[in-house]
Amino acid sequence: MEADPHRFLEDVLIAASVVGCEAVYIYLRDEYHEARMLLTQALADLRANPQCALPHIELRWGAGAYICGEESAMIESIEGKRGEPRLRPPYIAEVGLFGRPTLEHNFETLFWVRELIGQGADSFASHGRYGRQGLRRFSVSGRVKQPGVKLAPAGITLRELVDEYCGGMAEGQTLYAYLPGGASGGILPARLADVPLDFDTLPPHGCFIGSAAVMVLGQRDSARDAALNVMRFFAHESCGQCTPCRVGTNKAAQLMTAEIWNADTLQDLAQVMGDASICGLGLAAPNQIRCVLDYFPHEVGAEMKA
Amino acid sequence: MSTVQFTLNGQSVEAPVGKSIFNIAKELGIAIPHLCHKEGLAPDGNCRACVVEVAGERTLAPSCCRSATPGMQVRTDSERAVKSQKMVLEMLLADPPEQGHKWLDDRAEAPHGELSQLAEHHGVQVRPALAVLRREAVPADLSHPAMAVNLALASSAIAANALAVICRSTT
Repeated sequence: MEADPHRFLEDVLIAASVVGCEAVYIYLRDEYHEARMLLTQALADLRANPQCALPHIELRWGAGAYICGEESAMIESIEGKRGEPRLRPPYIAEVGLFGRPTLEHNFETLFWVRELIGQGADSFASHGRYGRQGLRRFSVSGRVKQPGVKLAPAGITLRELVDEYCGGMAEGQTLYAYLPGGASGGILPARLADVPLDFDTLPPHGCFIGSAAVMVLGQRDSARDAALNVMRFFAHESCGQCTPCRVGTNKAAQLMTAEIWNADTLQDLAQVMGDASICGLGLAAPNQIRCVLDYFPHEVGAEMKA
Repeated sequence: MSTVQFTLNGQSVEAPVGKSIFNIAKELGIAIPHLCHKEGLAPDGNCRACVVEVAGERTLAPSCCRSATPGMQVRTDSERAVKSQKMVLEMLLADPPEQGHKWLDDRAEAPHGELSQLAEHHGVQVRPALAVLRREAVPADLSHPAMAVNLALASSAIAANALAVICRSTT
């Protein structure tokens, strides 16, 4: 977006015209000052010299809450309310922003629109490995030689991503574990580094690709530290609206500091969070607990799953 | 009035379109635990004590905020639904101070009003592993000449989303 703000606006206008939107709201985290300046300028340029009839466009920014990435919480925030997710149904395509049917997409998705139209779907679909189609942007961090955002084929495995796109593991590091999809996507051990990374390939392993923010851990890291770090983050970012997430993330983060985990209580918390939370934050928070218990039981004094 | 046919705990039920599963169940004598929902208030679906299992849905649904659709199969008493209903009660009981506020005619064994009653009814007790993590009580703030804030009272009323601010006599 920062490299080519106009391209993003073009994508937005195409999407709005296809769906027939009367108004467009662009929501940006408050932390992205540079992006806001660029986008404000690009919007002014567009209005000064419009190439087509423009819908009503507003640039809004939030105060930087993780939960405002959840589509209905973002809508609440744009409406000037506290960023709390809404209950579904109704879905935002029926009742969304200001009570109107709403299409919501992230920058990354919209960024593909112009290219897909220009190059054609076949060009995009010609990429991909292990039967998957398309390209994805993986944001790789952790113990690799060259971390960063990597444009790679869908379905690439973690091992291939590290070796071919990140220059391999960092000096003196061997792969121990990885988080395939940001904070909520779970943690997998090195022995599952050959699983294709895509939407439908990770759920059987208790994980998901999420934002494709991949974190790579080496042999001196521990999965329990990573899981605890993530659970504390969730406890901090939970909006507090529903009991399972508000109390569950908080209690789980405390229980996860114990040398030997109370697996029964953590499993109970995981179940109620995963079954009864309002939104994706609480529903996905237990992935971390379950992954550590399933794949790294030796780290928390639990018994290996049969 | 148009109606909808669905299944509730295995029983075929006809109910008005738009009526909540919670209210339909209530009229049939099926009690679902609930805390944030109260007649006369708009349902909010926050406490999650009233969750029920709908066949084919990935997660449980708050019965106070969901109406039935044709052919829907709902269970208020499945193992999965009951597990979450009870866990919510246990989680809410895990934080307020033990002495609580005497909501129910000074019954010391039910210091947290409806929450205590529900827990009693469903046989829910806070397990030691969660009891030791009890949140520390916030000391009362009596610094203002006209107002006193006692969050210890408020925390026992979390389920009612209430905040106790007690006005002091200025005389």
